[in-house]
This record gives sequence, C-alpha cells and structure tokens, in this order.
Amino acid sequence: MSTTPTLLEVEEVGAAAGGPPTSTQRILTRLVHDKAAVLCLAFLLIVVLMAAFAPLITKLSGWGPYEFDSSAINSALGGVPNGSLGGISGEHWFGVEPQNGRDLFARIVYGARVSITIAISATVLTGILGVVLGMLAGFYRGWVDQLISRVMDFLMAFPALIFMIAILSSLPAGNRPVLLVVVISAFGWPYLARVIRGQTMTLANREFVEAARASGAKNLALVFREILPNLRSSIIVMSTLAVPGYIGTEAGLSFLGVGVTPPTASWGQMISSSVSWYSVDPMFFAIPGAFLFLTVLSLTVLGDKIRSVIDAGEAA
Amino acid sequence: MKRSTMLAGLLLSGSLALTACSGNAAGADKTSAGPGGQAATGGTVQVLANAGFSHLDPVRGFDGGVNNFYRLIYRTLTTQGAAPGADGTKIVPDLATDTGKPSDGGKTWTFTLKDGVAFETGAPITSADVKFAVSRAWDPEIGIGSPYAKQIIAAPASYQGPYKSGEMPTIETPDAKTVVFHLKKPYADFGSVVAQNTFVPVPKGTGAGTELDSKPIASGPYKVSAYKPGASLKLVRNDKWDAKTDSIRAAKPDGFQWTFGLDPATIDERMIAGQGTDANAIAGTIQAASVARIQTPQLKQRTLSGLGGCTTYMGLNSTKKPLNDVRVRQAINFAVNKQTVRDAVGGSTLADLATSIQPPTIVGRADYDPYPSPDGKGDVEAARKLLTEAGQAGGFTMTLDTRAQPKMQAMAVAIQQALQPLKIAVKINIIDTSTYYEVIGTPSQQHDAAITGWCPDWPSGATFLPPLFDGRNITAKGNSNLSQLNDPGVNKTIDEIAALKDVTAANAAYGELDKQIMKLAPMVPLLYEKVLMVVGSNIAGAYLHDGFSGGIDLVSVGLTDAGK
Amino acid sequence: MTRYVIGRLGGVVVILLAVCLFTYLIFFKLSPDPAVMICGKTCTPDRIDSIRTVLGLNQPLLTQFWEFLQGIVAGRDYGTAHCSAPCLGYSFQTNESVWTMITARLPVSITVAVGAAILWLLAGVAGGLISAVRQGTWWDRSAMALALTGVSVPNYVLALVLQYLLVVKLQVLPFPSAPAFSDNPGLWFESYLMPWTVLAIGYACLYARLTRANVIDTLAENFVRTARAKGLQRSLILRRHALRPALTPITTIFGMDFAGLLGGALITETVFGLNGIGKLAADSIAKNDQPVIMAVTLLAAFFVVIGNVVVDLVYTALDPRVRITSA
Repeated sequence: MSTTPTLLEVEEVGAAAGGPPTSTQRILTRLVHDKAAVLCLAFLLIVVLMAAFAPLITKLSGWGPYEFDSSAINSALGGVPNGSLGGISGEHWFGVEPQNGRDLFARIVYGARVSITIAISATVLTGILGVVLGMLAGFYRGWVDQLISRVMDFLMAFPALIFMIAILSSLPAGNRPVLLVVVISAFGWPYLARVIRGQTMTLANREFVEAARASGAKNLALVFREILPNLRSSIIVMSTLAVPGYIGTEAGLSFLGVGVTPPTASWGQMISSSVSWYSVDPMFFAIPGAFLFLTVLSLTVLGDKIRSVIDAGEAA
Repeated sequence: MKRSTMLAGLLLSGSLALTACSGNAAGADKTSAGPGGQAATGGTVQVLANAGFSHLDPVRGFDGGVNNFYRLIYRTLTTQGAAPGADGTKIVPDLATDTGKPSDGGKTWTFTLKDGVAFETGAPITSADVKFAVSRAWDPEIGIGSPYAKQIIAAPASYQGPYKSGEMPTIETPDAKTVVFHLKKPYADFGSVVAQNTFVPVPKGTGAGTELDSKPIASGPYKVSAYKPGASLKLVRNDKWDAKTDSIRAAKPDGFQWTFGLDPATIDERMIAGQGTDANAIAGTIQAASVARIQTPQLKQRTLSGLGGCTTYMGLNSTKKPLNDVRVRQAINFAVNKQTVRDAVGGSTLADLATSIQPPTIVGRADYDPYPSPDGKGDVEAARKLLTEAGQAGGFTMTLDTRAQPKMQAMAVAIQQALQPLKIAVKINIIDTSTYYEVIGTPSQQHDAAITGWCPDWPSGATFLPPLFDGRNITAKGNSNLSQLNDPGVNKTIDEIAALKDVTAANAAYGELDKQIMKLAPMVPLLYEKVLMVVGSNIAGAYLHDGFSGGIDLVSVGLTDAGK
Repeated sequence: MTRYVIGRLGGVVVILLAVCLFTYLIFFKLSPDPAVMICGKTCTPDRIDSIRTVLGLNQPLLTQFWEFLQGIVAGRDYGTAHCSAPCLGYSFQTNESVWTMITARLPVSITVAVGAAILWLLAGVAGGLISAVRQGTWWDRSAMALALTGVSVPNYVLALVLQYLLVVKLQVLPFPSAPAFSDNPGLWFESYLMPWTVLAIGYACLYARLTRANVIDTLAENFVRTARAKGLQRSLILRRHALRPALTPITTIFGMDFAGLLGGALITETVFGLNGIGKLAADSIAKNDQPVIMAVTLLAAFFVVIGNVVVDLVYTALDPRVRITSA
C-alpha cells in the first residue's frame, strides 16, 4: 500500500517530463548545493555502506545477527530486554531483541542488505520491463499496443497487495528474496510502462524521429538511438521514486509475514516482530521503524529534488 | 488423538494442570473478591477470544477450544469434576446415575439416565437420544471429532451413521432410561470415554448435515440465543435444565457473551485496562510481551496461572539418515538449549522445561531427565561425544518443519542456534498453518524433524504414549507417530499395559514406558507450556481446570457482583 | 454516450473474468488439496472422495471454473444444499457462506474508507490550495516538507506510533474495536479516528502536493493571465477559473484511491484489528481459505475496475476538452 502514493505521484510527474535530457553533471551540481539533498545523500550513503560491509561491521560490534544472548533478557518477565531503552548498552549498541537477545544493531545492518538489495533489484526489473514494454506499445501501436495495454489494465485492476500476499504465502519458501523481487516487479511495471508508452507516442511523431526514419534508420535503431535517450529524465525520476516505494513494499510484505524467512533479518520483519512489544519495549519498534522511515524519506526527498532540477532544466 | 490445541493457536485451550502452581490468584481466599472468590447468581460473563469455535456440533468439535465450552450447553453420560487440581479430572456421573456398570469382563457397559433431564425443547432425554447421538460418530461426514467411540465400541464394518445406515445395532436401549454399549474388547476406563463429546445426547432424528453447528440443541444449563460464527456467541439460561439433576455445574451467571476475532494484543490491552464490561471478562493466555506488564500487585491479584497439560516437542524422524542412528538422536537431545526455546515462547512464566514425554499433569508420570544439562541449557560436549561415536563429528544438514506462526518459528530458530556448534545445519522449513499437520502427518512428505505438541484427551498415559509411539499405528496419512518409531520392545510394553485391569497400575506402567521410549530418543521434549491469564476485576469462582486445556472452568466461573 | 458506457462496462466484465480466471488458476495450482484441509484430523480416503464430489473438485478445472461463475450469476448446488445467487461458495474453514462473510464485513471497510477519504480530501486539497496561493512563503515550505515526510511514513509504522502515543501512553483514545454506530456513537467515532487518520495521512500529503502543483500550473496559464489582466480579483479568479481545471485531475486519482480502499485497507485493518474486508483477506490467506481469497480478490478488483469507469465518466463531465474530443 505504501507504494501507491509514490507511484501515482510518479505518473503525474512523468507525464510532464519527456523533454530534452538534463545532464547528470548538472543534476549532481545542483544537488550538492542543496542542504536537504546533501543530508539525504549522506544518510543513504551510511545505509549503503552498512549494507555493503555488514560482516565487517558486526565483527567490530561483537555480535552477529543470529547470535542469541540469553543474559541480555529477563526470562521471568516474558523475555523483555534487561536494562532501560530495550537493553541499549556498550555491549549491544541498539539494544537486543526480546525473547532471544539477538543484537539489534547487527540485525539492522544485515536487514539493510536485504531491504536495499530487494528494492534495487525490483527497481531494475520493473525498469527494464516497463521501459521495453512501454516503448514497444508506444512505438508500434496497433495490436502490440492493444495487447500490452490490456495486460497493463489487467494487472493494474488487480488488488496487488492481496495477491502478492496470497501468492507468497502459498509458494514454498524457496528463495524468498528472489520471489519477492519477481512478485513486486510483476505488479509494479505497468505504472512505469504506461508513462513510457505515452511519451514514446509523443516522441515518435516528433520531427527528429521522422527525420531519422526518412534517412532510412531501422525501427530498432530508432527506438534505442532516438527515443530512449529522450526518455532518460523520466526514467531517472521514476526510478528514484520507485526505490523507496519498493523498500516500503518489501517491508510491508515482511510485516505481514510473507517476506524473508527466519532467521534472516529485514527491517519489515523486525517491525513485524516488534508489534506485540511496542508498549513494553518501544525501542525494539522505534529503531527499525526509524531506519525504514529515514531511508524512504531520504530517497523521496532526493527523487523530488532531482525532479525539480530536471523540470527547471526544461523550463530554462 | 488430540494435538496440542495451545499450539494450534486456539484460545482458552491446551489441557491444563495445576500441579506446581495453585491455579488461583496468589493470596485470594474463598471469601474475598477476586478470581478465587464466591460467585454471585446473575450477570453476564464476557469472553474475549481470538479464534472462533471450530464446531458447535458435539460430534464434530474436539479440541481444547470447544470441550470446555460444551459443558455449558451440553451434558454427557459422565463428565470430569468441577474443581481445581486432581479433583477436576476425576470422572463423575452427569446424565447417568453412575460411571457405568461393566459386565462380560469389561466388554459390556450399562448406564442408567437420571430422572428429570431434558433438552432445551422440554423433551426428556431418553436412552434413544443417547444412542442416536453416539451413532452419529460413524457418519463419515459428521463424525470427525473424538474418535474414541468409533475405536472402542463394536459396530458393523459397513455402518455409516443413523442418516445413511439407520439404527445402530450394537447399542441397546432396553428401556427409556437404560443404554448398553458392547465394546470390541474389554476397556477398563470406559467410564472416561463416555465423558467425550460424542456422548452428548441429540434428539433422535435431528442434526443432519451442519444443522447443529448453527443451532445446537442444549441439554446443559445454557442455550445459544445468538451465534455469528467468527464474531460473537450469546448464551442465555436454559430453563429446562434442572439444577437438582446436576451436581457439577454451578452455573451462576445468567449468561455468557463471547466476542471472537479480537487481536491477541487488543485482548491483553483490554484485560489489563479492565474497563466497563471488561471487568466481567475472561480471556485466554496472555502474550509474552504482556508478562512484564502484569507485575503490579493489582494485576497479580487478577492473574491465574498453571501448567497447560501438554508437551511441546520436536519429533525426530528415525527413518532419515543420520537420525536413524539412536546416538545422533540422543546427541540432539543433549544439545538443544531448552532455555532459549522457552524464551522463544515467552520465558519462565509461560513454560517449564520438559524432560520427559508425559507432562506433570499425567497421573503416574515419572519425573526424570534422561539427557540432563546444566539449567537445561544443553550439553554440547556430551552431544559431541555421541556424534563422534556415530561418525557424525563433521556435522550434517537436517530440515526442521515448523508452522508459519511467529512463536513456532522462534522456537525453530532457537533450535537452529543450539545445534550450530555441532555443525548440524538446521534448515527451517516453514509450512502453512492450515496444512502443517497434514504435511507432517504424511510420512512421505515429512522431513527430518518437526516441532509440534500433544495433549492427552484425559490425563492418563493411555491417550499420550500409544498414539505417539506405537509402531503399528504408523499410517500413510494422518500419522501421529512422527518419529516413525516401530520398536518391538515398546510395542510389547504398550500391549502389556493395555491388558492391565487396574487403572492405577496401568498409569504407573506408562511412567516406566516413558523412560523406555526416551532411551530411544525419538523426540526432544521441549516445553510444558503454561497458562497465564488475567481476568476482570469482577470475576469470581475462576480456577484453571486440569481437564480443559488450561481454560478457566466455565461451569464454575461467575461474577462477584452480578449487578455490575 | 450510452454506447460508450456499454462498451466500457463490457471491458469491465472482460477484465473481471480475466482476474477471476487467473486467480482461480493460480490457487488451483498452488494450494494444497482443499478436500484434505476440510477433512480434518480424523480423515479417511472415503471422506476425502465424498468432499471432492460435493465440491466438484473431481471435475476438470475449466468445468469447475464455469460452475463457479454460474454460481455467482445463478446460484449452484453443493450436494444437497443450495446456495442461491450471488453464490461465492462456502468457506473451507468455517462453512459459512462467503457472500454472508463479505456482506457482514463490508460496512466496516466502507466506514474506514469513507471516513479516511473525507479527512484526506479536506486536509489535502485545503493544504495544497493554501500552499499554492502562498507559494514560497514559510507556510508553503513547511507544509510541503511535511507532505514529503507524510508520504514517506509506511502506514503500519504510523499506525503503531499513533497507537503507542494515543492509546498506551496518553490514553486519550480507546483500543480500536469497530463498534456499531447505533450502540455508541461517541465510542464509534473514537474507535475509527485512528484508522481514518492513519489511512488519510499518506493520501492527504500526496493530494496536497498535487493540488498545489495543479493550481500553480493553472494560475500560470493564459486564460488566467487574461482574466487577471482584465482586473478580476485574485480570489475570484481562483474560485471561478482556476479551481475547476486544477481539481479535475484530483478527481481522477481520488476515484481510483477510494475504489482501492473499498476493497479493504489490508494493513490498516490488520494492525488495528478491524474486521473488514482487508482483515478478511489477510485471515483467509493465512488459513488458505480459497473461496474467501477468491471472493475478496474479485471484490477488490471489482471496485477498482468500476472506479475506473466512474472516474472516466466524471472526468468527461468535468472537463469540457475531453467531451469535445470524445464526441
């Protein structure tokens, strides 16, 4: 559900784009001069580094993500962490998980891996599907368009969340992260494809494409040499805004119990297990909740900034 | 034949026993207010529950969730007592005048109905109604509940219940008050069998299809006045029930109101807050996360706690390599850290560490620990020694089946961690809750190990050890012998005990059989889970009943002040 | 116009059929044998067979599907029991008629959706309008920053934060419990307030951003400039000329969002334990209750597709340009 607003917003945004590409150089320069954007970039960098060097970091912090620490919890009180703030101490930097004493810091760090890998893979997969199918539909029109558009209508009419949960819960465990990516992408690509299709239709009628066609360029060359570069801005904006959406979706699915399987950590899974504990051990909820929120916020802000840079570029 | 219903996630469930703890709130004596106090007549007891009832039809329903509830609306030939402790599991007469007269060496049993017993319709309960009700157990579509009648009472092989095959030829009703059962073979404890739900009378000729599931016909002190499956159930007094014929049911309140489908966390919040009509409410065991919140003196006063009467265990499939080697199974028994498993379900207030197969509530159970370790934290060295002997020092991979439920997964992860030092890599295989028992009960589909539980149908080894370990009971589907243990020695002992005429001697013998089985280590006893309940401040007469899955005995509970 | 509507409705039926068939196929392939699930603990092969016959599971897949469709339109028979139209079958878990289950829970989902929609429309559109008019002021900047934040909070995180603060810590609200309005209007309102807020916040933030962007765009358009040049007052321009074109796209999105919610706010209902369609979906999935899964999927798809059609019709009515091109 958390994907819907972002994706809808993307549509509105994307519809306006499609003009000449703004150079990556210029986007970066502008972002570096924006305080909020720099803060977001810094936070995302930390998260990405955490994810990349998870084993190294947990070696330093002393606790692995799966190690139990029975001494950190009070068995007589249902397994609530010893000490205040969910057991935050020099030993356990973010405290421990109730009922088993696993180190929250280590689980956050490893959870970042899962969340980010899934979100980025899903973005790449939806990107490829959405762009290719959207361009095909927009360029060839006719029955190709009819076919692809009907499939998109069909997928968009689907109650995606219900269906994703239903599919995931009845599939054998297998490789959960891959399944998650496939399922998320299967229902995600039409939103991108619809925008790409519309823009391709507009672009295909433009003079420069006509000119290239007149000079004998093949269809394939037309699509990839002339149209694709002009879609770049939209793709960048939509992808930046899709990543937080997918992070939210993955977390949501894990929250509903159909995400990664134990003992693997993901932020959504952590929030899910913290639900029953929130009144006794609010930190168990607050820490993964804060990481999830800040990551999504950073990506959204960044996407928003990139979009306004691009918009400004077109207006200029 | 009852799987742990606590594990099945039903509320007010699990069998229970109050051996260690008193089952009553600390310090509450009979005269003061509070759960142990005297219940007044009148008022409505509220019950907050997560899961609804499986069935209202007594021949269909058979789990800790309904057995206790059935006593409010139904009566059986005999029933369990209504008292805390061992008195609660003693079989006493209910509709019958006594607990049955055996003849023919225990193969024929005769029961006589009391005078003045009637259905809610006003019609008297006759022996024909009892016979008709029992014969419904043979209907392949209806008789899906308690299996004992079908297993024990003789019947033609082709008999398919009264709706398809007509009257049952093997139950005699010489007059309106007398019913005579002929058994396949002598059964010393048949007086306990007729307390099963199957022996609830049903007016002759009624109850086809799912009729009774929506509109049960009461014989007990209450009748159903409104039922919305999965949402609510309202009981009101059955004025055709005569208290003079019933020495078991206090039936103090004027009614009961169930609310189903509540989130467990919401139930805990409401019970702890205890506002409004929630002061008149009871509910099931609290969640682990709520334990820390009920430590105030006021809440402790409102807390009931006791053993659940079930054993949570990990079955080890003795047909799979390398678990076919008894030393490997023993090593796993040594290595499992039961403390972390217990923490996974909510720590020491919600479970005791299990050492033997039978839980402490079973009569004749021996208290022993065949695979001891300091504080139950696991003895990795002893395990390693056994594995080395078995040639498995290098470790192996095994698949552990568990249900898609947070608590069960947490236990699996704890076991995974405990076996890691032995280089036993545990792959956790999560199976959908709805199909879990089907999968692990199908030998061709089950994996190396599975976490599950077992509750006795009455507190005797007879309903615990033979169903789980009799090698001749291994079936291709619906198998309960998860380890697929088929040991001639064990089978022989089971037969010897079954032949004993004296129930006490049999119970003691089951205690010894427990030891004999655990030498073969077909399972790892993990926990004896406990019941921990908070009741409303106006609740009185509440105690945990040994026979009803850790539930508050519903026929005795009531309100301190009926006007509230 | 009539032809257009009929055409669209035809499309609706095709999409719903496709959704139906797809769901049916997937669950037929993936799920364990329902007969075995219904059969329960003391099951015999004979009983499985008889259940299969009653449910029609021994027939070819397409025949079963056809019977399912027939059931919806004309009712069908299960063994001796008749299930009158619209028949969605019986729950494998509780034996209840799926249609009854759905109709019993729909009011909760509608209450949740309508309440949340009112909140987010009011807050979102008003916030966006004020921001657009006061473009660049501190109000605009902080409102838009807030809106970005609001879009980024996953709603279950928000739900739990609110529940912790308002129910557990401050105790200003009761635990959400979906009481009937007639029983206790005050409690009814208090109980639904949190679910409404949680659902509304994400949408309100999004709508605020959209409204602002649309109004600013419209104000920059030629006809508005002309009006201004004629000396019309700012507020009048806003009311008479800018509002309608700026809000038309909002109508489109609103229709879709609202329709989506009618099919059940799965996460919100689950978190707050409200027995609506969303929770029914989650529960039936957890229990593998195929007839119920089928029904909720279909219902949700139905709302989305119908929502689509309604939106298009309303859009045509609102935006003269669309009317001209379609005529």
